Amino acid sequence: MDFTLKLILQAVALLAIVGGSLFSLIGVLGFIRLPDVYTRLHAAGKVSVFGALLLVVAAVALESLGVGKALVLIALLIIAGPAVSHALASAAYRTGVPMKRVERDDLAQARSAPLGPGLHGADSSADLPV
Amino acid sequence: MDNILNAAIVASLIWHVVLLGVALWRIMRGESPVDRLLGVELASVLILCALVLIALFTGQDLYMDVALVVAALSFIGTLALARYLADQRMF
Repeated sequence: MDFTLKLILQAVALLAIVGGSLFSLIGVLGFIRLPDVYTRLHAAGKVSVFGALLLVVAAVALESLGVGKALVLIALLIIAGPAVSHALASAAYRTGVPMKRVERDDLAQARSAPLGPGLHGADSSADLPV
Repeated sequence: MDNILNAAIVASLIWHVVLLGVALWRIMRGESPVDRLLGVELASVLILCALVLIALFTGQDLYMDVALVVAALSFIGTLALARYLADQRMF
């Protein structure tokens, strides 16, 4: 019974290690090949959320190395990854890094066109959050 | 099963170090400062993955602490540098 549980945990760890390595490969490949900063952010976010998180899951399943610390690390990765992506995209937009193949730019439209009356006031289009 | 698992851990560790080298090469040829900052963030996450794999390989709890500190410090540092690039001030 104990042997079966150990085998299942080892299989879960093996799957998690292989999956995390594949997600890291996809993320770095996208970071090299994609055309501009905004699409590269999309690829690099995969490494921080899925690649590292699956490896931490493997560490918990295999050796039960400090389950509390691993949970804190997982929570930190899940919170920090989207926050960092958002900050970098905002910095890229505000420093004027161009996009390749723009289909539409809703933020520029919202900044140039004034909002309707009674929505946020008369001149609130100047301080829209990015 | 233990042999397969050890081989997978070592292969994944080597693989992450290779990916780290690729990311560093891409930082060197970056197009804009935000691009390079994104590369630094990606490299820190790959270092975190390598630290977790070293903790799995040696069975020592210490490397998980180091990975936790790397995650926290890279998060704060990237946020501060992104704000500095956009606003020319940090706080």
